[in-house]
Amino acid sequence: MEHSATFPFNSNHRDFHLHSRAAITVNNLAFSYGDGTPILQNISCSIPSGSVAIIVGPNGSGKTTFLKALLGLIPPTSGSIEVLGLAPSEARPRVGYVPQRFAIDHTFPITVFEFLRFSHPAVPEERIDEYLEHLGMSAMRTARLGSLSGGQLQRTLVIRSVLHSPEILFLDEPASGIDIGGEQTFYDLILHLHKEHANTIVMVSHEIDIVARFADTVLCLNKTLVCHGAPIDVLTPQTLQQLYGKDVSLYQHQEKS
Amino acid sequence: MDIFTAFQLPFLQKALFAGLALGLILPFLGVFVTLRNMSFFGDGVAHASLAGVALGVLSGADPFLSAVGVGILVGIVIYLLEHKTILAPDALIGVLFTTAFSVGLVLLSLQRGYQPELMSFLFGNILTINSYDLLVITIFSGLIFVILAFTRRQLTMLALDKESAWLSGIRTGLFDFFFYIILSVTIVLGIKLLGIILVSALLVIPPSTAKLLARSLRGMILGSIVGGELAVITGLAVSYLLDFPTGAVIVLSAAAFFFCAILVRACKTF
Repeated sequence: MEHSATFPFNSNHRDFHLHSRAAITVNNLAFSYGDGTPILQNISCSIPSGSVAIIVGPNGSGKTTFLKALLGLIPPTSGSIEVLGLAPSEARPRVGYVPQRFAIDHTFPITVFEFLRFSHPAVPEERIDEYLEHLGMSAMRTARLGSLSGGQLQRTLVIRSVLHSPEILFLDEPASGIDIGGEQTFYDLILHLHKEHANTIVMVSHEIDIVARFADTVLCLNKTLVCHGAPIDVLTPQTLQQLYGKDVSLYQHQEKS
Repeated sequence: MDIFTAFQLPFLQKALFAGLALGLILPFLGVFVTLRNMSFFGDGVAHASLAGVALGVLSGADPFLSAVGVGILVGIVIYLLEHKTILAPDALIGVLFTTAFSVGLVLLSLQRGYQPELMSFLFGNILTINSYDLLVITIFSGLIFVILAFTRRQLTMLALDKESAWLSGIRTGLFDFFFYIILSVTIVLGIKLLGIILVSALLVIPPSTAKLLARSLRGMILGSIVGGELAVITGLAVSYLLDFPTGAVIVLSAAAFFFCAILVRACKTF
């Protein structure tokens, strides 16, 4: 079965804040569960500061596990990770995270504002209100977190992830749960925040068009690092076939200015 | 004697102050207990503390303090087994509390004759609280209230989502452990008021009542404390006037508020 698609590849529109300094350095990372089942093996890479790095790979390829290891949520079985020159757990105050799913008890009586306040006690209340307004969430300030729609919850999680001006923003399939119309707006918002704060973005995504449009660096993951580099070099039918095990054709087209 | 004159009697004043102290911290802590679905933990630690009561009775030590010691120990064991085994918390609590309760019964059977302490610990008897008990309850309650007030954020984030809590800089393992200890101490303190059988009522009923009506976490905490204090005052007054068991009437008062909240919520929905 052959899949084909056309993508406007990311040009140099974010070069203004790309730095050669690495925001994240990974050396020989491996992770396996307690029973010895290997999830990640022999991963080494670096992500430049100020870049957008997107992790792609089939289901069960270890993308979320890799992201959680970078965040320090799970300890690697072997190898090392440096985030902003620190161990991941020490870099916590300097990173933001939008999870793929945020499973909360819908009856949990916490308002959107309380949630944001408790997540970042050092951030002034005015700043929280500014972001709520900026992302069109002011009307939901006193709404229960559990009563929000999927899109509203993702926006709240985005606000939480950027309130403290993180140097690195981790996003795990952040548009899952948002409808097709909202998805475009959502990614525009992420890109806008990225331009505004000049931070590094590390995102897991299933969508090759998102990778082509936004990524400076692609990390193709299938238990190990299959390929790593600029989208135009990496997103080839051969590497995608190697990654997903299916024939894929890609067509590049110029984006209308 | 009317109730206002009665509340000037020293033994009833001691009961009122101890009840208000416990009516403050049990529902406050209960907010996090109910949000974490840990209601069974309260029953478990309370029942297990009978082993501590028995040790105190047999050794001549203060049964109250030995019960606090055993309560903390059981809380720590539950925490460790939860993290080190694949068993669900309710199963672990079921195993530990029935074991410790049985140890307590066997130890108490070694003591000959009538044991007034046993009935007092099983069903609570706040009217027998002496100055020493009141001092212990007040000091512990004050300390626990201050700790809860200062760790409200951490306990809320832990109850909401452990990943989020960790990423917001909270040392989740440490705070979880600390939560189990403080919960165990609070439950054993509450045994003086309501007894082993009923103590978890003040931990569960006022927070559940408040959750039905509150729109925010702040509202739930305040509502829970107010509900707990009202249940203590109403329970003491009614039990004195009608000569009913105090602990049971306090629980029935809390339950009455709970069913009123159910009705209010139902009226709002329809």
